[in-house]
Amino acid sequence: MQRLGWFRAVAPHAMVRSMPRDLPALTSRHQRADGAFDLVFGTASRGAAAPATVLRHLYQQAPLRILFPRPEPGEPPTAALLNCAGGLAGGDALRQAVRLEEGACATLSTAAAEKVYRSLGPETRIESHLALGSAARLEWLPQETILFDGARLDRRMRVDLAPGAVLLATEMLVFGRVARGERMAAGMLRDRWRLHRPDGALLWVDGLVLEDGMPAAEADPFGFAGVEALGTLLLAGGAAEAMRDLLRGLPAPAPGAATLPHPGLLLARWLGPAAAVRAALGAAIPALRAAALGLPPRLPRLWTT
Amino acid sequence: MAITTTEIEPLATGALHRLLAWLSPAYPVGAYSYSHGLEMAVEEGRVTDRATLIAYVTTVLRAGAGRIDGALLVAAWRAAAAGEAARLDELTALAAAWRGTAETALESLAQGQAFAAVTQAAWPEPRFAAFVARHPRALTHALAFGAAAGFQGVPLRPALAGWLAGFAASLVSAGMRLVPLGQTDGQVATAALQPVVEAAADAALAAELETLGTAAPLLDLLSMRHETQYTRLFRS
Repeated sequence: MQRLGWFRAVAPHAMVRSMPRDLPALTSRHQRADGAFDLVFGTASRGAAAPATVLRHLYQQAPLRILFPRPEPGEPPTAALLNCAGGLAGGDALRQAVRLEEGACATLSTAAAEKVYRSLGPETRIESHLALGSAARLEWLPQETILFDGARLDRRMRVDLAPGAVLLATEMLVFGRVARGERMAAGMLRDRWRLHRPDGALLWVDGLVLEDGMPAAEADPFGFAGVEALGTLLLAGGAAEAMRDLLRGLPAPAPGAATLPHPGLLLARWLGPAAAVRAALGAAIPALRAAALGLPPRLPRLWTT
Repeated sequence: MAITTTEIEPLATGALHRLLAWLSPAYPVGAYSYSHGLEMAVEEGRVTDRATLIAYVTTVLRAGAGRIDGALLVAAWRAAAAGEAARLDELTALAAAWRGTAETALESLAQGQAFAAVTQAAWPEPRFAAFVARHPRALTHALAFGAAAGFQGVPLRPALAGWLAGFAASLVSAGMRLVPLGQTDGQVATAALQPVVEAAADAALAAELETLGTAAPLLDLLSMRHETQYTRLFRS
């Protein structure tokens, strides 16, 4: 019998190609997950009304799965990312790609917090690629990533932005299972971002690298100062300066700050207890999606259910 | 005590003279006007004395901008010394895009532009001139410094350790004005930072650009908050 893959029923046209990979598969004694998705949104004309965003292409490979909950009124198509394996172990790899064609608008989030387990040695790898066509609007709003003590995560994000595109992206890292008093005393984190202009030129680069766990607060009062979590928000395109001032005026559940590292690019970070950082993102996202993306001022329902 | 040959790296007179000039506080890059977020750290009561000033500069060198700038200086030196112009251009784009905050970007780009201008005037070199002409207003200080050293035969390790020591001394000088601390306290801090500078140089020489990153988000927050600090002496 031909092996169709369980995603066939969702998107028959999606059996086109496997996603490109630029890293060799890791060798491991254990069976390891190699999840992927490739998602393309385009627009379809609706006569006199504004064009609607439609799903053009979907490829998904276990343990990653994409669900499309029915959007609430006023919301763009929402893709909910689900890791059926429940978490990521050392040696697991995920490749995620989202492309928005000209004028499309979509929201991506995760159905739950991502957990990265203690590794026996190999790294957990996550590669993501967001590509926005001209005037496209994308929200990349995953819930937090929890790094267990001993986790080894290597994550890379590439963003390609066409003229007029607007990206609202957030990330939240939690250093240890803080609810049970654990901290990420050992382990590794490499989290790298690269934003490219339409001509391929680099617009912004950032990297967070911990080679040997979270340094103790007393060892580095100016590094992480012993906090539980780091939240990051990036708004590329749109009226960045006005959005920075808007962010600065919001109530701040966690210590944070905002800046424009590059004209047209807003970066904000929060550093503090996990619940407070999540609350800070929970306040910033509705305000910015309304002001910068013209969407309802609320959190994705996945964040609140 | 055994002295290995690596400890007495020969530095030709021309190279030593260049380093002393380029790293002197009198070299007009405007280093005195940047505090790299230290002004906010003092305002928030995080830096209050010599010990906390040393801790601040240590984090900058070990986990903050020192990591990125050190590694990029090394890469730029190697590309310049090898005459790899395309590689140097690629590194320039990477360094110019690596921006933690608005003010740290201003700090490194304004100093880089000033360093390039004065070095072209005082120490002209045709390959450096061509390189600078290709990147108007896009040179960070560390990258321009590494390229100039590589083009003009200044050995890598002294150039790197010298640049990091200059960065540290500039922050100590800002700290002396902000905390405030006396002249001798400042020099004690600079001396105490010597092993940190050497360790940062070792890390920069071993760094791979593919796995480069900082581990000091609090420094980023302080620099961001400095943008809205009510009274400010410094531009960063």
